Amino acid sequence: MTASARTPLPPKPFNPTPVWLSAWIVVLWLIVRDLDLSFATLAYGVEDMAEYFGRYHAPDFSDLPHYLSLMAQTIATALWGTLVALLFAVALAPFAARNLTPSSTAYRTSREMLNFMRAMPDLLLALIFVASLGLGPLPGVLALGIHTAGFLGKFFAESLERIDSGVVEAVRASGASHSQIVMYAGWPSILREALGYTLYVMDRNVRMASVLGLVGAGGIGLALHDTLRLFKYDESAALIAVILVVLLAFDYFSTWLRGKLK
Amino acid sequence: MTSSSSLCWPTPSGRPPTAALASIAVVLALLVWSAPHAEINIGRLFASLPAMVEFLSRIVVMPEWDYLPELAKKMLETIEMAFIATSIALALSVPIGFLAAGNTSPHPALFHAARALLSGMRALPELVWALVFVSAVGLGPLAGIMALALVTVGFMGKFFAESIEVVDPRAVEGVSAHGAGWLQLRTFAHLPQVLPDFIGSTMYVLDHNLRAATILGLVGAGGIGYDMVMAMRLFQYDRLLLIAASIYLVVTVLDRLSDRFRAKVI
Amino acid sequence: MASISINGVEKRFDNGFHALKGVSTEIAPGSFTVILGPSGAGKSTLLRLINGLETPTRGSLAVAGKPIDHANLRAIRGEVGMVFQHFNLVDRLSVVTNVLVGRLKTRSWLGSILYLFKREDMDIAHEALDRVGLVDKSWQRADRLSGGQQQRVGIARALAQQPRVILADEPVASLDPVTSEEIMQLLREICARDRITVLVNLHQIDLAKRFADRIIGLNAGKVVFDGTPAQLDRTALARVYQREGNQDDEQLQSVLAYA
Repeated sequence: MTASARTPLPPKPFNPTPVWLSAWIVVLWLIVRDLDLSFATLAYGVEDMAEYFGRYHAPDFSDLPHYLSLMAQTIATALWGTLVALLFAVALAPFAARNLTPSSTAYRTSREMLNFMRAMPDLLLALIFVASLGLGPLPGVLALGIHTAGFLGKFFAESLERIDSGVVEAVRASGASHSQIVMYAGWPSILREALGYTLYVMDRNVRMASVLGLVGAGGIGLALHDTLRLFKYDESAALIAVILVVLLAFDYFSTWLRGKLK
Repeated sequence: MTSSSSLCWPTPSGRPPTAALASIAVVLALLVWSAPHAEINIGRLFASLPAMVEFLSRIVVMPEWDYLPELAKKMLETIEMAFIATSIALALSVPIGFLAAGNTSPHPALFHAARALLSGMRALPELVWALVFVSAVGLGPLAGIMALALVTVGFMGKFFAESIEVVDPRAVEGVSAHGAGWLQLRTFAHLPQVLPDFIGSTMYVLDHNLRAATILGLVGAGGIGYDMVMAMRLFQYDRLLLIAASIYLVVTVLDRLSDRFRAKVI
Repeated sequence: MASISINGVEKRFDNGFHALKGVSTEIAPGSFTVILGPSGAGKSTLLRLINGLETPTRGSLAVAGKPIDHANLRAIRGEVGMVFQHFNLVDRLSVVTNVLVGRLKTRSWLGSILYLFKREDMDIAHEALDRVGLVDKSWQRADRLSGGQQQRVGIARALAQQPRVILADEPVASLDPVTSEEIMQLLREICARDRITVLVNLHQIDLAKRFADRIIGLNAGKVVFDGTPAQLDRTALARVYQREGNQDDEQLQSVLAYA
């Protein structure tokens, strides 16, 4: 076959990837300058860092029962926070799903509510609730619950929007009311997905609950903060180890459970 | 026949399904066990309602407009931290992701090592790492960036590995049938297929990092969080209101942008 | 009194598509009517209008003398059962629960949220499943059934509504010929025994001719044929399936030669 017999290739479309990539690098360089980040000190500091991390070599587990009870409080906070989130999300998601919402006003309102809950950092919420409720895990529960309700509600609404429209229509065509459509065409179709998301949020909440103590909202975080402030590396190491082990265990557990759900 | 006995569930026995009952029982037991630990007290909750309303009414004050330039600077720093941490994490996660995916890892030992490393990285929350890094490299955004990057490598690497594992093996076979080497296979068979997923995960992580960056200041690791906590501690509600509003604004804008971007790419 | 009356109905969608351009007809109670027409002729839109899933741009519809409007939408839907091409069952619910969806119109808010049903509703569902011959599959998940079985569950769901009218939107388009025959026989039998008005959209001319009392031909949103199966000759069929701006359609002629 000769080259002249071939149909010529259409002109190559413009590939914008290099442009984006160089823009990205320029932005990164600008940021490094703006924040005055010196990665050189980081490089020099590797030795110091090694020395620093060496100070954590001898964890002191003498206060382990206390740490464990703090961890139990952390998990309890996460559990109740997830429950609060679940209640909000289940109530709001059917209104925030375009295919199930009864009216566009309800859709906008519920979307905005979820968006607002998601946008408020849980630590800020915890600060506010600690100020009005006093110290302890209860403000943590509320803060986690409200913040993650925004995520869970959005995930649920997106799952609900992916339901086969024919199924929703079939239930609607039998004369079902709005709540009946949600209960029979909605939740059963996304049950597994919804459980997966809930586990994921639970996982995230355990992680977050372990630092809420920094603002006085219960859990193991405050103890870690105090020991680090007082340069008690042995106790800090023990606390970090407890957090690490429990969170790793939780991670594996929820991965396993999600695998079972599929 | 009483009215209650004329009702039944759509199961062979007419009673609710055992699996559903059992899981509800387990969850309830967990909640009951944990209630005292979490100091769940409905009475206290309702008793504090007036305090909460009072607090909220105190927050609604005239914002301190003079603080705006400082706020803009801090907010920019927060965004920059999230952006740079995500970029660093992206660069590290792609190779680790290929090592941690069952179908592309060169050796089972490497696979397990990569998986364990990723689990370890994401096990501890950003704030704990930030506490540690502040102690190590001092106050400022560098500690925050390191903490964010470290944790998000754990997440991104895992997301990437999961995307790689569901790649269509036929396309990979097609390329390898033409005699492609290990690295060629990864770049020409796997990468194009997982790219949309990668971009989706990266947007998700950027979103997550922005939210996380807003609170790292709590431990002195840079960003708006420090001002937020100080405003709260010093009862500068005129400032707090502005900070909360700006966080809401920035997070919402990125949220919308990333939703739109993901819808376009995927 | 007519079971369904359609008066000068027009439907124009938001995207500008003019699906129905003035349709008026009456469907007699207990009759078996088949609507034929090319894809896009407005067959589905017409059925969806009768169930209130779409609202007409102009004109009005009534079921058993009651006009369809926003206020009595749910009541009308309760009297009109619907059967779909893709069955549209809730995959993860059991066959019985899918059939019980047909009874939701009688259930209270709280009862349906708790998935509680009356024993009499269970009996109705049981009987409906008996009619379609699937009692032994009652407790299986709906997505474990074959296509033909799923369509039977769909019909049982419509039957459980104890409707005046059953609308079937291409009920056999996703099924093999033998199963299609069974489904059509089932619909015909329901029409004859329960005196339920059945309105079916079809693409199969032979099925239409064998099962229908009356055939309505739709083309480009207008009724172009209305009569008994015997009256549906080649010229009539040519009118029904004629494509726009194509008076001398060879494809059409060769298809009709085998019809």
